Amino acid sequence: MNLQINQEQINETYELNLTGEVDAYTAPKLKEVMLPLTEKEGNIVIVNLSGIEYMDSTGLGIFVGALKSSKANNSSLKLRGMTERVKRIFEITGLTEVMDIESGVKGEAL
Amino acid sequence: MTAKDALTERYQDLLSVYLKAKTETTLYKGQQFSRKLLEQQISPEDLVSLHIQVMDELFPDMSEEMRDSFDFLLEAMIGYGFAYREHQSLRDKQQQLESEIEVAASMQQTLLLSDVPEFEQLDIGVVSVPAKKMNGDYYNFVKSGNSLSVAVADIIGKGIPAALCMSMIKYAMDSLPEEQMKPHLLLENLNRVVEQNVHSNMFITMFHGVYEPESHKFYYAGAGHEPGFFYHAKEDEFQDLIAKGLVLGVSRTTTYHPYEKMIEVGDMVILLSDGVTECRTSKGFIEREEVVSLIRKYMDLPSQKIVENVFQELDRLQGFELRDDFTLIILKRLV
Amino acid sequence: MDIQSCVEVRNEWDIVSARQLGRNMAKELGFGNVDQARITTAISELARNIYLYAGRGKICIEPIDQLGRKGLRIVALDNGPGIREIRKVMEDGYTTSGGLGAGLPGVKRLMDEFSIESTVDVGTEISATKWLR
Repeated sequence: MNLQINQEQINETYELNLTGEVDAYTAPKLKEVMLPLTEKEGNIVIVNLSGIEYMDSTGLGIFVGALKSSKANNSSLKLRGMTERVKRIFEITGLTEVMDIESGVKGEAL
Repeated sequence: MTAKDALTERYQDLLSVYLKAKTETTLYKGQQFSRKLLEQQISPEDLVSLHIQVMDELFPDMSEEMRDSFDFLLEAMIGYGFAYREHQSLRDKQQQLESEIEVAASMQQTLLLSDVPEFEQLDIGVVSVPAKKMNGDYYNFVKSGNSLSVAVADIIGKGIPAALCMSMIKYAMDSLPEEQMKPHLLLENLNRVVEQNVHSNMFITMFHGVYEPESHKFYYAGAGHEPGFFYHAKEDEFQDLIAKGLVLGVSRTTTYHPYEKMIEVGDMVILLSDGVTECRTSKGFIEREEVVSLIRKYMDLPSQKIVENVFQELDRLQGFELRDDFTLIILKRLV
Repeated sequence: MDIQSCVEVRNEWDIVSARQLGRNMAKELGFGNVDQARITTAISELARNIYLYAGRGKICIEPIDQLGRKGLRIVALDNGPGIREIRKVMEDGYTTSGGLGAGLPGVKRLMDEFSIESTVDVGTEISATKWLR
């Protein structure tokens, strides 16, 4: 399984649309795209996860890294469109409490 | 006679026999000879040179063009020799690395091995199996006074980085003896250590609990760890053992909520790593309900037998190929 | 014959001249054809590195005689950018030249002795020796 990353940009707002799986194999690719965006002050990075059916802990780690980077660099990171399975791991790990996650979760059906 | 002379002689014999009667037998011997060449680390250009030497002996009147063409072949073979030697050197290096990893893995085993303590009131079962050589799951039992402390942690990522991180956790835990008996404070302390010392992409999930035999209370707290289960014998039902809290290593100021539960005779506390619930089979993920039904199937057995049987069944379902480290712990109150 | 001969390396043709120089000397010294091929390959690689990464430099070939032990030494000199991480360059698999694909570790294995000195922004000097057996 693979990960596709679609990037759109309007001024300082970047929207990443992800499709596929975020696991140990695809996580480096996501990091390469997402991390630099969070390193620039004032950037707003929105990640749409509605096309992600599976994310493992390594994938989650990339979001943790991006969150820390956005805090350190005064950019902002928002997640939206989580499927139930993905939402569950954000909830278990307590990350829903510290991350900006847009409510109105989409179901598994696409 | 040097080894090289011996090879030259053997090659000359084989080649002249072959040129006289072109039989499959001689070709087969030629193939075996090539294995010998590899054993003695003869590189491709050496073999071509050997061939030239032998041909010079066998056909002193060889045409000049033919003779020169061999020299050209020799030159063209050098690249293969280059690659062959690089391959040898990389293979040596790989063997060296593998043996270093073996040593590290066995050191980790010794370092982190936590004996399952004898505890009269509880029947304890543990299984912890790494997906690769080194285990990224960590569990730890400590008997302190009358109480029993149990910890399960999962370091994200697998293999060596996770294992190194785990050693850090172990030493941090060992240096916090006072807090050991208060799970939420222990997690708070560990969180600070982890936050300062791990790479920003890394985090650790952890569950920590303490059983107090006098009160039969189980105190616990969780840092983003996959919830375990609580089996309530009186009602004959399994509940999720939820302990909310942020994973270790994300935010320095995180605090953790203390939880407690009365444990009655026959009740079970079941702790796990997400390797248990993230098991993937050809039919998709294994749901938590399936893990529960496996435990239920074996729950009349001693705890160690339960965890072993559950592991074997899940391992079989995954085609004996663990994708993630797997840890399952059961504590059952006996009296 | 005991005088050092050098070839300036500025383009790909100079690589051939360097090879030729090395081959002639190797032949004169009595190296067999396999060793001749190894020596010229080492020269090619070193000269190619100069041509590709330093732009210009020179390859010097000299016969050596140490207590009756005869051999041939190749010295590659350039005033190029230098090599920042020599250890990395000497690791297998870290290929900087598009040449034979084994780069400097390969050259080292083709020869009997090998040494490298490099200073960033000053240049690189590599010397490699093959002994006559």
